[in-house]
Amino acid sequence: MVNRRTFLKGTAAVAGLAALAGPRRSWAGRENELNILCWEGYNTDDVLGPFRAKHPGSRVRAESGTSDPDMINKLRAGEVNVWDLINVNQPWARNQLYPEGLIKPLNRARFEPYFDLMLPEFQGPYPLALDESGKELIGMVQRFGPFSFVVNTDKISRQMAEDQGYKLFLDPKMKGRYGVLTYDNWNIMHMCMAADLNPFAPLGESDFAKFSKVAKAIFDGAKLLTDDLVGMNTALINGEIDAYFTGGTYTASPARFDGQTQVRGITPKSGPVNGKGGVVWVEVTSAVNNPDPTPLAEDFLEFVQQPEICKVVAFAEGTYNPVTQMANPKVMALFDKDELDAIQWDSLPEEMERSVDYQIVVDYNRLNELYNAAKRS
Amino acid sequence: MDRIEERQGLLSALPLSVLMVLIFVAPLIVVAVFSIMPPRVFDVLHMPSFENYRIFFTQGYYRSLGWALGMAAMATVTLFVICYPLAYAMAKIFKKFTLIITIAVVVTLFVSENIRLFGWVLTLMKGGLISGYLRTYAGIDIDGWLYNVPVIVFGLVYVYFPFMLFPLVQGISMVPEEVRQAASDLGASRTRIFFEIDLPLAMPGIVVGSLLTFVLAAGAMAESKLLGGQAVIVMADEIEAAFTFGQNWSLGSALAMILILIIGSLAFFALSRVDLDGIMGRRG
Repeated sequence: MVNRRTFLKGTAAVAGLAALAGPRRSWAGRENELNILCWEGYNTDDVLGPFRAKHPGSRVRAESGTSDPDMINKLRAGEVNVWDLINVNQPWARNQLYPEGLIKPLNRARFEPYFDLMLPEFQGPYPLALDESGKELIGMVQRFGPFSFVVNTDKISRQMAEDQGYKLFLDPKMKGRYGVLTYDNWNIMHMCMAADLNPFAPLGESDFAKFSKVAKAIFDGAKLLTDDLVGMNTALINGEIDAYFTGGTYTASPARFDGQTQVRGITPKSGPVNGKGGVVWVEVTSAVNNPDPTPLAEDFLEFVQQPEICKVVAFAEGTYNPVTQMANPKVMALFDKDELDAIQWDSLPEEMERSVDYQIVVDYNRLNELYNAAKRS
Repeated sequence: MDRIEERQGLLSALPLSVLMVLIFVAPLIVVAVFSIMPPRVFDVLHMPSFENYRIFFTQGYYRSLGWALGMAAMATVTLFVICYPLAYAMAKIFKKFTLIITIAVVVTLFVSENIRLFGWVLTLMKGGLISGYLRTYAGIDIDGWLYNVPVIVFGLVYVYFPFMLFPLVQGISMVPEEVRQAASDLGASRTRIFFEIDLPLAMPGIVVGSLLTFVLAAGAMAESKLLGGQAVIVMADEIEAAFTFGQNWSLGSALAMILILIIGSLAFFALSRVDLDGIMGRRG
């Protein structure tokens, strides 16, 4: 017989088990379900609406993350059961997610033809969309952009900024005239380059000392630090600062599209990585190694290759970015002059030429310690 | 029979107790265990190590802790000074007007903290609301007021205002008017009444208000990020950076544990010294 006491015990046990069970996993078939973890843009109705219309009755959900590590933390914390697609910058997929079994290879035969329609840099397919062995395709690429630093060209000419590169921020005349956008994993790369170091090669003790000195100088001269690109652009437009370290098309485009074309992403003409000083990010969208997979994951990756959707992804809310599919005239035809100007289409080829891929920084852990110490000093 | 009744009480409380333990204590245990794992591991099946606590001292994290606690203390003292006269008026002088103030203060809580802080950014920035008006109408050109320590403390004072005000009103309303009058009749000065009657009797409200403000302000991050432009780095920021860009969960956990231990001991110490039942209206 169930009396009050056993009922209460049962309730406690059920509550306890429910709390222990962790993220919910659906036990029904997941043919009609898709959960996407992505940077802002893919989660808008402009992208998801047409996909939902194509798959009536499906439950498609997308959540935007605020940083690559934030999204990766979710998978590491056990949410591989929840998500089907993850969209992060190139080195994370190849160097962390894939080796740790958090993502799985895509059907290469199905997706390889799409790379042939992309800009020349991404054909072949793009090396960082493949695993270390070069055999498995671990993700599809779409949005990308050079990311080095941003200036107000009314105050600092593009020519001068490109010539000086990161040394601009070490010039005593710039003290108190720039901000630091605290996308920490980016700044570490660029601070290495400002110290004439190659962040993608192993560094020695004297290099760490150089890095530390440059990091301290850059933080010391900064007027403000923020991880909010809108706040940073506002400070640039209203004259509180004349430049910010680091940034690029991704951060400058919202201001440019708003008519503030004096805000411009700059790629240095030269630098310490095989003569190059710019860094380019490329988003890789991969299939999460969900134990209960859905066919909609690969369908979605194919769906976003359509010209109309490529355009929507490039100009979704928040930031505006070039897409790899812009080699296709049907995609290009969808962009007007202002949109192309917002994403600095005029200088994109030369900026790409001067940039290297965002890769894993070999001594990231040590540099991160020095970076944080400099930030709080 | 008595024993059965005692056990019934215990058993009835059991489900809720288990739930509370799972919801409140279990996450803390996970954080505590992670804090003694070696750096940069993502599970708890490793040999314990106190490396992360060593890092706290050797890499200057105590500075961020100092800023967080220091600015929280400044905000708490400022709030006490600002709120006490208003709380006194709300408890003893204003009649219906108290309700209007209460509603006005509570309504601000309906808008998210970040949005309210962005409002201040737009107000205080160079070319913002204040400096824009001054430039247009008075011809005075001034720089913005953002990106320094005082503006962070201002943000903390602004955001945590209700958390100091309402406990103070509650505390001050507990001071019986007769006691103040008796002291006055016996010749005590206003200052003496304030220090020997008002303050001690309102102490539960003062302690609860100060504690709430201090604890929340010590863990706050948005004010230093949005208004302060990270002029100083606070502890909550360090914890976030360790968990995200650092991908060092165990260091993040150790930093969190240090903050929890300091604030937790302070809370226990302060609460053990006041009669909480009094403020909850259960004084027998």
